[in-house]
Amino acid sequence: MIDNCAILPCNGLDKCAGAVSREVAVKLCENNANEIICPVFYRVAEAKYNKIVGEHPLIVIDGCQTRCASKLAAEKNLRVFKKITITEEAKNHNIVLSGGLTPGESDKVLVDLILKGLVNEPENSGLISDVQDISCNFDYNTFQNGKFIFRIPRGAQIYFNENDCWAYVIGNRARIGVTDFVQQNLSDILYFTPPEIGAEIDQFGEAGEIESSKSVFEIVSPVTGKVTAVNSMLEQKPELINENPYETGWVAEIELTDFENDKELLIGFDKYFELVKRKVEELNG
Amino acid sequence: MSESTFMGVQRDKIDWKPTIDYSKCDYCMECVKFCPHKVFEVNEEEEIKLIVKNPNNCVVFCRACSKTCGPNAITFPDKNTTTQMIKAIRKEENND
Repeated sequence: MIDNCAILPCNGLDKCAGAVSREVAVKLCENNANEIICPVFYRVAEAKYNKIVGEHPLIVIDGCQTRCASKLAAEKNLRVFKKITITEEAKNHNIVLSGGLTPGESDKVLVDLILKGLVNEPENSGLISDVQDISCNFDYNTFQNGKFIFRIPRGAQIYFNENDCWAYVIGNRARIGVTDFVQQNLSDILYFTPPEIGAEIDQFGEAGEIESSKSVFEIVSPVTGKVTAVNSMLEQKPELINENPYETGWVAEIELTDFENDKELLIGFDKYFELVKRKVEELNG
Repeated sequence: MSESTFMGVQRDKIDWKPTIDYSKCDYCMECVKFCPHKVFEVNEEEEIKLIVKNPNNCVVFCRACSKTCGPNAITFPDKNTTTQMIKAIRKEENND
């Protein structure tokens, strides 16, 4: 259960999803020792909340994908413990929001489902992560553009897609992650949404998201298969992706189901190294 | 700015671009602010203030702008369909 947390909700007073976000925040504080941070007041007088956000895990509740609450958290450089987006929750639960500015019947049902989900969270996946002992001590080639250094790992078992994600393939398993190009462009990564363990992902399908104050990046899976493990360290320390996106900052492990076909749309070190150099030059002129 | 090819296929042969549902779009322009590839164009003088001006600048399989869209007005083609299309074009070109 969410207890003893700081809750930063959306303040969308002119939108139904905003009203629902407020309702979830209020309910979370009714029966537990959570504290609401008013986003409007936080912006103008942050001193009031500095102690709360400094001492408690932060739950961010966005109404919609404009992600005003997330952006505020990023602006204040806050590490987010958990995120909820009301419109996404509505979609997942097959609920149509009422559209009103005070929560209607369907909105109240959604609020209850979100709260129940938070209570039951540890049992959510029902599957235990099966992390393989994959040693990722790569050799790298590097290049520099301005103050930014880009390292690209080389080796016969390392593959890349043109969406700047890598796969390190051992037998019928692959460990996947993002490249330096992604982490340098995003700058400080503040939040990681892992793929679900047990999920079947197609090549180029979504394998989680990472988010910085600048942007959200959808991790584009280089391979097809089943997610067998995620790097749980990233949920507490997403900055590991900035520190080393190939070793401590890996994202997930996939049991491969169609690698012979996947390979057709993957490239090796030589091609990716040239591609990423070109992309960096194009972006920075 | 844009890649001229993706996986060896000419970018303009690949159908991958955002589509704006104007019945939902509220012209907040978050997508424009977000996209570094100048896919969108704003014209405040027109009735339709936002258009997909440079679809081939859009990075194939990137859907990030849709994730910034509050009213959920941006959609993309199905990834699987696009993947199969790319494979088919590559096969065809290899056979030529």
